[in-house]
Amino acid sequence: MNWNIDMENAREYFKSPWRVLIYIVLVITALLWFVPILTALITSVRSFDDILTNGFISWPKTITFENFLTAWNRGGLNKYLPNSFKITIPSLVLTMFFSSLSAYALARFKFPGNRWIFFTYVGGMLLPFQVLLLPVLRLTDFLGLYDTYWGLIFFHTAFQLGFCTFMLRNYMRTVPSEIIEAARIDGCGEIRIWAQIMLPLTLPAIAATATLEFTWIFNDYLWAIILLRSDSLKPITAGLATLQGQYVTDWPVIVAGALIGTLPTLLVFLFLQRYFIEGLTLGSTK
Amino acid sequence: MKHKFSSLIGFVIVLAILLSACQPTTETIIETVVVEKEGETIIKEVEVPVDKPVLIYNSYMSDPDPRVADAEAVATFQAAHPDYEIIHSTVAHEDFKTAIRAYLTASTPPDVLTWFAGNRARFFIDNDQIMDISDVWESEGWNTSYPKGFKAVSTVDDAQYFLPTSWYWWAVYYRVSIFEELGLETPETWDEFLVVCETLQENGYTPIAIGTKYRWTAAGWFDYLNMRVNGPEFHINLMLGTESYADPRVADVFEYWRVLLDEGYFLEDAAAYSWSEALEPMIAGDAAMYLMGDFIRDDLPDETEADLDFFRFPIIDPAVLIGEDAPTDGFFIPVNSQHPEEAKEFLAYLGSVEYQTFFAEKLGRLPTNFDVDKSLFTETQQKGLALIEGADFVAQFYDRDTTPEMADEGMNAFMAFWDDPDSIDELLVDLEAARLEIFVTE
Amino acid sequence: MARFRRNIVPYLFLLIPVIIYLVWVIGPMFYTFYLSLTDWDGLTSPTFIGLRNYERLFHDKVFFLSLKNNLKWLLAFVTIPVAFGLLLAMALNKSIPGEKIFKMNFYMPMVLAMVVSGLIWGWMYHPKGGLINTFLVATGLFKKGPGWLSDRDIVLYSIIIVAIWRQVGYVMVLYLAGLKSINPQLLEAAHIDGATGWQTFWRILLPLLTPVTIIVLVISVIDSLRAFDLVSIMTRGGPANASSVLANFMYIESFNNYKMGYGSAIAVIIFLISLGFIFLYLWRVMQDELEY
Repeated sequence: MNWNIDMENAREYFKSPWRVLIYIVLVITALLWFVPILTALITSVRSFDDILTNGFISWPKTITFENFLTAWNRGGLNKYLPNSFKITIPSLVLTMFFSSLSAYALARFKFPGNRWIFFTYVGGMLLPFQVLLLPVLRLTDFLGLYDTYWGLIFFHTAFQLGFCTFMLRNYMRTVPSEIIEAARIDGCGEIRIWAQIMLPLTLPAIAATATLEFTWIFNDYLWAIILLRSDSLKPITAGLATLQGQYVTDWPVIVAGALIGTLPTLLVFLFLQRYFIEGLTLGSTK
Repeated sequence: MKHKFSSLIGFVIVLAILLSACQPTTETIIETVVVEKEGETIIKEVEVPVDKPVLIYNSYMSDPDPRVADAEAVATFQAAHPDYEIIHSTVAHEDFKTAIRAYLTASTPPDVLTWFAGNRARFFIDNDQIMDISDVWESEGWNTSYPKGFKAVSTVDDAQYFLPTSWYWWAVYYRVSIFEELGLETPETWDEFLVVCETLQENGYTPIAIGTKYRWTAAGWFDYLNMRVNGPEFHINLMLGTESYADPRVADVFEYWRVLLDEGYFLEDAAAYSWSEALEPMIAGDAAMYLMGDFIRDDLPDETEADLDFFRFPIIDPAVLIGEDAPTDGFFIPVNSQHPEEAKEFLAYLGSVEYQTFFAEKLGRLPTNFDVDKSLFTETQQKGLALIEGADFVAQFYDRDTTPEMADEGMNAFMAFWDDPDSIDELLVDLEAARLEIFVTE
Repeated sequence: MARFRRNIVPYLFLLIPVIIYLVWVIGPMFYTFYLSLTDWDGLTSPTFIGLRNYERLFHDKVFFLSLKNNLKWLLAFVTIPVAFGLLLAMALNKSIPGEKIFKMNFYMPMVLAMVVSGLIWGWMYHPKGGLINTFLVATGLFKKGPGWLSDRDIVLYSIIIVAIWRQVGYVMVLYLAGLKSINPQLLEAAHIDGATGWQTFWRILLPLLTPVTIIVLVISVIDSLRAFDLVSIMTRGGPANASSVLANFMYIESFNNYKMGYGSAIAVIIFLISLGFIFLYLWRVMQDELEY
């Protein structure tokens, strides 16, 4: 990962005064955006007593990293983090796989029912999901999947299909038809076209969607609470919520735990974002 | 790209295999079986699966201290029953209220659940969601060792469904040092209370701390004012929907409340703070009093806790009976439980003197089993106990005594009143309409 | 034969995903429609009551208040984060010093758990000790900072600000991906032809980004009508329903008050409103879509 601020490039960039101005505005905006996160970081290194006595917005009297340890142990993060992955990764893979198939079909073929199927996918996104909690629970229980990973995975896969198909279909429509036609004339099977042409060409969209999906599925906790009964299967979001009591909530510990919880998503973002950076030259046909 | 994709698919497949491989192993033993076959008796040795006793226990005790106590209690029970497989899960308190809907409808629910006494439990009992545990009450002798009040709160139509295990009292907590500094005595009557507030305010203190962001702290004030002005019987009937919000007696309550608001005795911008955020001024020594449950002491810095004491909410009308709020927590068994014997066994433990003594000592709450040795209680606990024993009536708290829907309407009205006291007449009209809709129509 | 295969292929591709979607999402959705016509406490069997729930809704003050709030939210969401996200994506599209840091910085709010975001902003909005009010008072412009979360007139906007803080990163990511799909040669050609920056932006870039803009607008509408978490965490709809939004109202009715039928009716209304906005838009847009 190249973190170096390339001085050559920088000098190039700052040639015009407009650019300098834009950059300054960008920096100020970025700093403003960062302030709440900074507050979170500072809170995570304070002790609860410190906050109680001195208020939330004040410089920490002492710095402690104990909150992270407490979050890890009491919040059970060492137990729950693997669970989060066991739930998120299969869901992510399955939903991306199925939605890219659907998107390709919807984007590139004229057939009766195309619009209606598309509208169905979008329609499923319109309901506030809380109302689905009990119906889906009943379904899951009926299928014998209550309190299992697969119950949750199937749900996430299905539910995210709406957004992903919508996204990918629209991006796939921007791929010039000549390329597809050329491949078809060449006698390529549709699966090959899908896998070797369409997917690589819509990589930025896939990477962006995957990043967003990872964020959402990983951060979900309401569904985990409803579809899972046992402690041992909980993802970290539910585990962190347990740090909230009826009367007392150990805020610094929760913040510390939440910060730990952001790391996987940030890593995914950093890993995938180069795919929205790598430009693809669409000039060529192969 | 193709590589990555196929490896991802491969990964998923492997994962699937691994996950499905995680099946619980059933224990088996060798048993001798006698089988009749065509007139001949054959003795065979057969491997038979044994059902290990299983107990699934889900609890909402997510606060730090109760959580530890809960875990220890389970460990003690496990030690007494080594053959049991106990699956214990703690869920965040607020989330538990949502999750319980799933627990009660699932085909494999937890066997024992924590819950609140009062209307909250009543709702489930009335809908046949809770198992009848009269047999446990009988066999454990709780019909005698539990005070009538607690038995009453667990009984519907002469059968017991709920096991109350711990409770705490509400009172006005205050900072002793501030009172001493200003030479104040703890007020017993309303007029004395007003004088105390006035004195505090004149000397630059905030008389009453309160954080109403989550509304229930305001409901506490309603409870007490209503019980002091109109008596506990009227209050409970109002909660049960048999008295009217349009009754002038209810309006009286708000008159008294208004005095405090108009004089500015409450913490400024109370609606922006949660109850614990509003504790800060009290810890810092800027605010003097807080109407709150005993759990206020749970997370205070030691020095503040040492400086804290409490008094009974002041009497407004000496002719009126004394009612106090003492919310009670306990346990029940969902009617769908797959392991009722284990559940009842666990319940027997939870209602026992042993568990309750442990819990009371550990957390400073009060037990429901009156066979527990009272001399073990701390001074604070003794005082709290006396407070409640001296009451004529014990209520559960606004949002546990009335239906959730009515509680929601009521608490919103209290907040609206707090923000704009002049609007009270309108608010009461709306509340009455809500009451009729909720309690009277079918 | 190839023709036949080509005709069947889309259906094959769609078979499994559509089935999964129907079972897990559309099915429960229709069940919810049915539930809206019943009185159900979530535990026992539902009782059919026809349109009673909807009648009740039209007399419910809180419903109209929530609806108004959602519409305000919608207005905010389809303008501010969209414009901002686009600008950010354009600014960060070229290689500028520190671009990765910038991108991460703006995306971070999306990554942080809602609970914590609500918590942190709650502290920032604290009337006395909060960051914002302390700052305002220090500048001497204000004697006392506003009650961001306790003043009924501004509480909704305070929450919307937090929502925008989160949403901008999301829109930025979508536009970044969109920009990457645009052939830079097209832009160069325009430049060579003498188009000004503004003209290039307005006449060429923006139209090319239309598919992305469609997505962005659609999700902005959906997210604003379904807004729930921040309200639930920061104010629970208070004070006195001033910040109530439909999804929060629905949740309280369903889960707190055990009125799942009524809650479902609210959900159906949300659905219908979203449907109205989105389908009109999509239908029109799809008429204009280039044929293949």
